[in-house]
Amino acid sequence: MMTLTEALRERKRAPVDAEPFRVILACGFTPLHLSTFLAAHLQRRLPSRPVEVTCGLYGDLPGTLRESAAKNPGAVAVALEWADLDPRLGYRNLGGWGPAEQDDIVRQVESRLGSLRRVIEEVADAVPVAAAFPSLPLPPVFHTGSRQAGRAQARLNALAQQAACELSAHASISIASAQHLDLVSPPAERYDLQSDLFTGFPYKRAHASALGEALANLIAPAPPKKGLITDLDDTLWSGIVGEAGPEGVHWDLEHHAQIHGLYQQTLRALADEGVLIAVASKNDAAVVQRALARPDMILSPEKIFPLEVHWQAKSGSVARILKAWNIGAGDVVFVDDSPLELAEVERAFPGIHCLRFRPGDYASAEAFLTGLRDLFARKRISDEDALRRESLRSASEFQSRMAQQDAPEEFLRELNGSIAVNAQAAGDPRSLELVNKTNQFNLNGRRFDAAEWRALAASPGAFVWNAAYQDKFGSLGKIAVLAGKVREGKVLLESWVMSCRAFARGIENHCLALLYERTGAEEIIFCFRATDRNGPLQDFLARLLGRAPEAGARLERREFELRDLPLYHQVQWRES
Amino acid sequence: MNDIRARLTTCFATVFPALEAAEIPAATQKTVAAWDSVAAITLLNVIEEEFNTQIDFEALADLDSFDAIAAYLSDRVAAGNSGA
Repeated sequence: MMTLTEALRERKRAPVDAEPFRVILACGFTPLHLSTFLAAHLQRRLPSRPVEVTCGLYGDLPGTLRESAAKNPGAVAVALEWADLDPRLGYRNLGGWGPAEQDDIVRQVESRLGSLRRVIEEVADAVPVAAAFPSLPLPPVFHTGSRQAGRAQARLNALAQQAACELSAHASISIASAQHLDLVSPPAERYDLQSDLFTGFPYKRAHASALGEALANLIAPAPPKKGLITDLDDTLWSGIVGEAGPEGVHWDLEHHAQIHGLYQQTLRALADEGVLIAVASKNDAAVVQRALARPDMILSPEKIFPLEVHWQAKSGSVARILKAWNIGAGDVVFVDDSPLELAEVERAFPGIHCLRFRPGDYASAEAFLTGLRDLFARKRISDEDALRRESLRSASEFQSRMAQQDAPEEFLRELNGSIAVNAQAAGDPRSLELVNKTNQFNLNGRRFDAAEWRALAASPGAFVWNAAYQDKFGSLGKIAVLAGKVREGKVLLESWVMSCRAFARGIENHCLALLYERTGAEEIIFCFRATDRNGPLQDFLARLLGRAPEAGARLERREFELRDLPLYHQVQWRES
Repeated sequence: MNDIRARLTTCFATVFPALEAAEIPAATQKTVAAWDSVAAITLLNVIEEEFNTQIDFEALADLDSFDAIAAYLSDRVAAGNSGA
């Protein structure tokens, strides 16, 4: 748990020469240390930008919320407490706790929650919102006492949970998990009566830190891992398949191997959410195929790609899997029961997240499964997530077929490729997601927060396009984004990204051709910046320009047309 | 006492980063513009963390200078009420 001293020192580490990340903290109490802790936890997550947290007027939570969107912050954090819903549910007001008040308190909370919910939804239509619902215990209002949940108390809790449930359905609203908060901040250790009465700040410092961290996690979550590579023996199942045979390994209660079944169940859920699952196992491939084909396998083999089963070093298997997935080791979790194998892989790939599976350790199994799930946590599952595994398989098949071609151009023409462009794509969450996670084919590596993205899209002459692609190998989903401005017959291309799965199909040629065709521009100005990882983009621009690209590189329509780049695919254009 | 003043100086530097080290021993609520009510509580809580002690809010009004706080902490140490 971060101390206040550590939080204040964290704030000092903020860079001074970068664009600030601005957050509005909306709460009905004196924000005091919650503001400090929220800023400090955010600063840890966003070390390249100074974090600024501003607060509204004391006691005016709805007013702070109403004014927040107009200030165009990067995010709004809401810390709601019972006293915000009815002052009689706090200790700073003497409004009555008797039986006559209870029904009125319930009515007041219901009404107030309804209006707050509407305001929060309005804010979230423009700005991402992170919200925490009442975290402090209810005061001793009820005739049933503290040990029994009477009708009024149960109704209040139900109303708060219902509001949280409805708000969580909004794409831009994230709700802090009460269950997680209970684990990291014991409910009995949260309220500070003296501080509340003297300063209007109701939290003990440890709880303020926990709540600030919970809100910071919602505003700037760690990027979810993209893939998991698992061992088989004593990990995916109990037993050594090479010794016991395909029918001699287990993952069920009957054989005291339920932990392996739960692990398989977790991997199946992750695979269904779009996480890539691969196997790296030192084994006989034929025996493993028979075990994986068992009808009672919870993680069915079609959810696994690729399978690396042989007797060579696991670091080599990991290298081939990463190549097939075309992602970096930092995006991947490696799970094995052998410390030796974990060390060998970690040495070869220092960025990979290694987790040890401990078959007989029931004490740590629950934390293992929860921690595993958290490494892949995301707010929503997109259509592209569901497509990812199949599109990687098809991309892999495409690459291997392409490598065998004597006449690759003819092969590309016969793909029957189709590019669907959405010319109003600023509001499509996939656009910002692609811009913020694509590294290799990325014009400049620039990341945007929601406020910056909205500002770009709203500026005069702005355009934000995204493009989906499919061909006879299957659909790749939305794989490219182009964003910038058209002014005085010139395109200022500020962001251009394309998924690595879409490489080598000439889709980038279409992107540029469409920029000239649809905007009528005579010149494109590339807001290019070399990064450590955008080599593929640099190579493409160097071939296109006939020289190494530099910041502000330009390409006139006439020059582009002279290049006569092949355009293999059909284009569908959508303006709405 | 010297140890208390040195640790208290660290607390002041944490809460008032704009204050020069040489200015801290003479700091008072009147001379430090940033020493408002929020900073006063923050300073009190940072001191509680540094000295592993609880300071009563009732004492806050009197703790309005570096010297006053140092003397208060010395009294508490003498009385055995602090981790100093």
